[in-house]
Amino acid sequence: MLKKIILFSVLPFLIFPLSGCWDNRDINHRVMPISIGVSKMDEGYKVFLQIPEPAPDRLGTRIVTGEGETINQIIDNISVNMESAVDLLHVKVIVVDKRLAEEGLNDLISGFIRSRDVSAKAVIAICDDDIDQFFQSMENSEGQEGTILLDYFEKYSGWDPHIALSRVWEVYRSSHSYTRDVAIPMLKRGQTTFLEIVGSAVIKNGKLVEVISSDETLLYNAFKNKSTRGKIEVLDQASVMVISNDTDYKTEFTDQTPSLQTTFNFSVMILETNGNPSAQEIKKNLEELLLDRYKALVVKLKTSEADILGIGQHFRKEIPRKDLKNWRSDYYPNLEFNPIIHVDIQNYGNLKHTAN
Amino acid sequence: MNSLIKEIKDSIGENDDLLFTEQQLKDLSVVLFGLNSLIDLGPTIKQLEQLGQKNYSNKEKQKQISQLGEIKRNAGEITSLLLDGKLMIAPSPNADFVVSVDPVPVKLNRAIDQITNENTMLGPFVSFNEDSLTNIGVMRKHVVSEKIRVKHFLTGTHNKKELSLIYYEGIVEENLLQTVLKDIKRNSINDLHSIQDVTKMLGITPYSIVPRVKTTEMPSEAAQSLLNGKVILFLDGLPFALILPSVFADMFFLESDKNLTYPLMVSLRSLRIAGTLIALIFPGLYVALVAVNPEVLRLELALSIAQSREGVPYPAFIEIIIMLVVLELIMEASVRLPKSIGPTITMVGGIILGQAAVEAQLVSNLLVIVLAATTIANSTVVGVQNLLSIRLLKYIVLIFSSVFGVLGILAGVFFICAYLAGVSSLGVPYLNFKQSKGDGSHG
Repeated sequence: MLKKIILFSVLPFLIFPLSGCWDNRDINHRVMPISIGVSKMDEGYKVFLQIPEPAPDRLGTRIVTGEGETINQIIDNISVNMESAVDLLHVKVIVVDKRLAEEGLNDLISGFIRSRDVSAKAVIAICDDDIDQFFQSMENSEGQEGTILLDYFEKYSGWDPHIALSRVWEVYRSSHSYTRDVAIPMLKRGQTTFLEIVGSAVIKNGKLVEVISSDETLLYNAFKNKSTRGKIEVLDQASVMVISNDTDYKTEFTDQTPSLQTTFNFSVMILETNGNPSAQEIKKNLEELLLDRYKALVVKLKTSEADILGIGQHFRKEIPRKDLKNWRSDYYPNLEFNPIIHVDIQNYGNLKHTAN
Repeated sequence: MNSLIKEIKDSIGENDDLLFTEQQLKDLSVVLFGLNSLIDLGPTIKQLEQLGQKNYSNKEKQKQISQLGEIKRNAGEITSLLLDGKLMIAPSPNADFVVSVDPVPVKLNRAIDQITNENTMLGPFVSFNEDSLTNIGVMRKHVVSEKIRVKHFLTGTHNKKELSLIYYEGIVEENLLQTVLKDIKRNSINDLHSIQDVTKMLGITPYSIVPRVKTTEMPSEAAQSLLNGKVILFLDGLPFALILPSVFADMFFLESDKNLTYPLMVSLRSLRIAGTLIALIFPGLYVALVAVNPEVLRLELALSIAQSREGVPYPAFIEIIIMLVVLELIMEASVRLPKSIGPTITMVGGIILGQAAVEAQLVSNLLVIVLAATTIANSTVVGVQNLLSIRLLKYIVLIFSSVFGVLGILAGVFFICAYLAGVSSLGVPYLNFKQSKGDGSHG
């Protein structure tokens, strides 16, 4: 009995030697970069870590760089040289330079997924600029909040329907999928604002193959049923603001030819008019504008054989598994795409409208 | 001196408060004895004097005295009556009998007071006091019913104490009542001083973190328990009711809540539940987020916490343990101290220690906020015993979370739930949410 009591009172203390809890580092002994920049050198990589530094009355930024053969080696080297351990779990944005994206992101992305150091939810972006200067200017710019890159992509903060938002896991998924590619945002340094959006990079099998404009990115987001609320479209006679949107799909597969009918419904609000166009005119013009843009986008994508809209997903059940891997080359270019666009002018702004 | 009185003197004669005097009640000369710490002698003699008016013969005298009270001849019985505060009258120092009389007692009980430890906003303010008969009277005022049953038991061998049992015939859980009655009868030789003794008598383990017996000084709470089928014990000298058995709901549900409207009652009770969870989890959460899983925090928060901990020499676990111990000491000290010094300690502890510890960078200021929230939340729990249980249980969550982080909080809470699920007293599980008979809702 006594033996048992001693045994059971000693057992709970084993929790301490067995758990490895002495490896826990307090939060103030960790360096938490919020974005990583990766650029391709002739041999190996160069890595930029953007580390927010609490300065008195604001959040400053410190940029640490390192070069080496692999990302993990570089991070490890930086960690050795820094006063605290580098903890990548808070990384929210990964910026890669254009050259690396053209050569292929697969190794980089699968490395991140494999080590799980970086959250799979981190946003990935391409820098269409000299990445060295891009990060240096982040450190130099006075009055810049340290979280600028992060805020740019946050839905509650700076995100806009013009910006494609792709996470690390989505890029990883696309590089292993026969029927889906991704678009990732492309940035450069702006003239007066810190960042300027160039458009979106179309990534096929981990490689950059095409660039689409930000207007086209809006359609990409609408196709994915993401809200485009707040987006302003300018026509000849008026500018309107999108209030809500939704998308319906209908697919058909006959004689090895896929066809997709997509219905987009946009509810808009009239903001400014030029002259005195009728609502019908505005509606017609807007529908035409969006339709043309859609067709151009799809033609562009078909040429580059990159399926960022994920149209192939709708035909997976029609195409045998062994042929599916040829979706991009055999089926996708033959796609019949019939977009139908409905615009509903929901209100005329805060003016009392008597016409029509 | 005859043997009877000598026997009595042998057993309790060494007490200096044993009064032993020959008294002339007008013409009647008698021997009075009793404990003058329990008997108010002056008025008592005055009362007796009214009796001895006439000239009595010896025989008449004996008859007259024996009419005053009960005749007792057994020395043991007389001793216990003396200890109970009775006055003994013997016709002469060597009489073979004495008469036990109810004297004018010394006032040793306080009057029925306001409740002191359990506050209520809406509800009766009467509280129980140390005299169990008074308490039973108070109970009878609260539940006016012919179904109330009161049973007295004289317990103890060296220390005779009266234990009273009250229940509501017809509503009381029959099994519970029988178990309690059987245990009291079987262990009636046990000396009862404290609640621990009572629980031991009832066969309930004293090694329990949660209270097995609910104590309350509010008669309205006790009355509702009766209507919910529970039994109440009063131990002479303890100024509260012992309600059997104690269940989980007692931690959050107060009878006086029912004086509020339904939505207010529900929100108040939810607040207490939330308070308990906060008190249990917050210290653990702090350690988990600061030391083990900072990735869970929003970035801005993580950075500001990191900044506030800059220069703190200890790991988060040690830091929080130091402050918690100081805090527990302050709480214990403010109970011990006389009321006049209490506020000083609060000020020294709260303001000076807390502020100074932060400014000396021994602890982060977030920790001080966490501790304040914990302590305040802890106090929302109903009942002193439950408050202490929660105060102790939070360390389990704390230790688990310092090892396993956020997962450890889950493990700790799971551990506590498992423990509570395993507790049962007198055949009633602690986590018993079944609606009781009678009132139809929890009290």
